[in-house]
Amino acid sequence: MKCVRCLTDNAAKVAEAPDQSKAWEVFVCNRCNFVWRSTEEPEVIEPEKRDPWFQLAGVEIENIPVFSPVPPLKK
Amino acid sequence: MEGKSLRGFLEKLEKAGQLVHYTDEVMPEPDIRRIGRAAVDIAAGNTGPAVLLENIKGYKGKRLAINVLGTWANNAVMLGMDKDTPLKDQFFEFARRWAGGSDGELKWIKDAPCQEVKITEDINLYEILPLFRVNKYDAGFYFSKASVVTRDPEEPDNIDKQNVGMYRVQVQGPDTLGIQVLPFHDGGIHLRKAEEMGKALPVAVCLGVHPVISLMASAPLQYDQSEYKYAAAFMGAPQILTKTLAANLDIPAYTEIVLEGEFVPRGRFVEGPFGEFPGSYSGSRRQFRIKLNAVTTRKNPIFENLYVGRPWTEHDTLIGLNTSATLYFQLRETMPEVKAVNAIYQHGLTIIVATDNRFGAYAKTVGMRLASTPHGTSYAKNIILVDGDVDPFNLVQVMWALSTRVRPQKDVIVIPNTPGMPLDPCSEPPGIGGKLIIDATTPTAPEISREVRMVDSIPESEPYQKILVELQKAAAR
Repeated sequence: MKCVRCLTDNAAKVAEAPDQSKAWEVFVCNRCNFVWRSTEEPEVIEPEKRDPWFQLAGVEIENIPVFSPVPPLKK
Repeated sequence: MEGKSLRGFLEKLEKAGQLVHYTDEVMPEPDIRRIGRAAVDIAAGNTGPAVLLENIKGYKGKRLAINVLGTWANNAVMLGMDKDTPLKDQFFEFARRWAGGSDGELKWIKDAPCQEVKITEDINLYEILPLFRVNKYDAGFYFSKASVVTRDPEEPDNIDKQNVGMYRVQVQGPDTLGIQVLPFHDGGIHLRKAEEMGKALPVAVCLGVHPVISLMASAPLQYDQSEYKYAAAFMGAPQILTKTLAANLDIPAYTEIVLEGEFVPRGRFVEGPFGEFPGSYSGSRRQFRIKLNAVTTRKNPIFENLYVGRPWTEHDTLIGLNTSATLYFQLRETMPEVKAVNAIYQHGLTIIVATDNRFGAYAKTVGMRLASTPHGTSYAKNIILVDGDVDPFNLVQVMWALSTRVRPQKDVIVIPNTPGMPLDPCSEPPGIGGKLIIDATTPTAPEISREVRMVDSIPESEPYQKILVELQKAAAR
């Protein structure tokens, strides 16, 4: 399934409303870790309505900055 | 013992008229965000209540507490004071308790309430907890008020180096968390050491604790100062802890929900953006990841979270006085002329210090000292100095000092190109900033000032305030 943020085919359903009400479903993208619920506002969960500033379409994961670099292993 | 739990504190708030039960059905998004925003906006962060949401669509039977320490009225209740206590008086009571330092006592119990319910298989946080998206463009559902416990992997038995820190945590999968821990955080030191050893660092994420624990978790304590001991000293009673199921980690025994797991060593995973305390979104970064192996809870647990975004929010109230008190004591170590410190604005990006002048232009030195404290190095961007008899928490008085004391050609100092706070949206590049020092104190010899006579303050008027307030209350009945 397509992620609404990075637009790759890496998203999957991970949860349903726990009270059996079928009120909503939750999806996670395993690539960019975006998470959304089926009942959220269109500007959050519809790619064409999302603010482009927050999209990660076409962004390579390894180009996303790291705040805490992995230190060298100490022997 | 409920006095040391979130539940006990909610009872206190309810007695003081500072807790409301929200029983109408709400959607996780966008309703909870709006209710959290509203609760803190009432009277600009002063009098709004904590809110217990009891009817969230899809999460029938689950409870969520928000705005628990969102307002100064709730903070006053935490300090055992009347809920309309002025902020300056709250600061001095806070500082009195804070002065207890790390002298508090710790006690451990077995079969703790926080482990009444144990989930060790098929963990799915999206179904266990009533999660919600705090701000619209956050990367997902965040814990904004989590107390994260780790130990120093080189000294795993040193309890003073065990850390309880408040870091933003994103639920990135049913049993997976993304977390921002920065290199200068105490937790960041633990992580660096563990990764140098190639080890997975055990971690416990505590959700729903007494507000004093949250307060200490978010306070800039030193590396070898125990948050739990500070909390015990602050509360004047032993802190009751228990061990996690799987690791040698201490957790508050009355925590509502505990997530146990390990950091994934030497991996970084996309996290963010998240609407942060300066009122701006952080960017996306690759950060640490936690894999969970157990969730323990009290029976019928209360999940707690806070709204953070454009100030004023609960985040500001939570860290306001612990930042102020830390800086107050650090300054007074060598500068007893300092009377009070107000660092409640954006974690101390703007700070007002009330100080007497030991000699001419002394206040400017106080400003530079503040700028070189551990916290002030990256924060403390705008530093305002006012006379010792000005209440730095009363902005009317501060503005009066600026209006009548500041000589722009002499009293305004700009120091360019200093460390800055990366989350400050005008820190460019992120982490680089500058300092602005405004000396709004009265010139003292050998400085020469114009001969004027200021009107005296009238401290004898204070008792009459109480009389007038009582008369006003009676008139309204």
